[in-house]
Amino acid sequence: MAFYELVYIVRPDVSSTQTEATAKKFEEVITSKGGKIIKTEQWGLKTLAYRVNKHRKGYYTMIGFEGNGEAVAEAERQMRISDDVIRFLTVNVEELTKAPSIQMAPRRRGSDETTDAPAKTKRPMANTANA
Amino acid sequence: MSEDKKTYEGSEGRDSRESSANLIGKPYFRRKKSCPFTGPKAPAIDYKDTRTLNRFVSPYGKMLPSHITGVSNKKQRELAIAIKRARHLALMPYTAR
Repeated sequence: MAFYELVYIVRPDVSSTQTEATAKKFEEVITSKGGKIIKTEQWGLKTLAYRVNKHRKGYYTMIGFEGNGEAVAEAERQMRISDDVIRFLTVNVEELTKAPSIQMAPRRRGSDETTDAPAKTKRPMANTANA
Repeated sequence: MSEDKKTYEGSEGRDSRESSANLIGKPYFRRKKSCPFTGPKAPAIDYKDTRTLNRFVSPYGKMLPSHITGVSNKKQRELAIAIKRARHLALMPYTAR
């Protein structure tokens, strides 16, 4: 059984309570096909980087689950049918923890990740603190 | 005379191709020696982590070549896949004006 991350976008003119309902629906589809839900994350209403089906915003939801190909195929088939979901992507991942993903972190997390460039460069704008 | 091969990496003369105007704003000439993704504290390449991915994308939303950002080959391939996934999910733009 492999680990999958299924991220999908629901169009914005759907009420947020309904997004939970759709999330529940897809979770049932996955569990009915023998999948096991590990975590479900609602990233909430985000502005899209470009317009998708004339929408500029969308509700993002991520379902992390463990399952086989049928669970994935069925979930994706349901998403193609449903007209709320405007885009989805299933990704096979090695391991899946319950920890919230980067998207769930509070917006102003400051620069706690110390991954700036090790090599000290002589350029004036060498500070790589991500803006 | 194989010395010039070794100096290829540090030679200054090779930057003539990147002299076009729109490259000025971004730290295009950053001489990065080490790959930011290998090493103990390196961030994992993740299509959801747009803050890190945006550091490897030009102001126009195009992916930066690894000889400018200093990313190793293996990590550059993973980075490219992550950026394409983020673009598909509209987390990152295909082209940014």
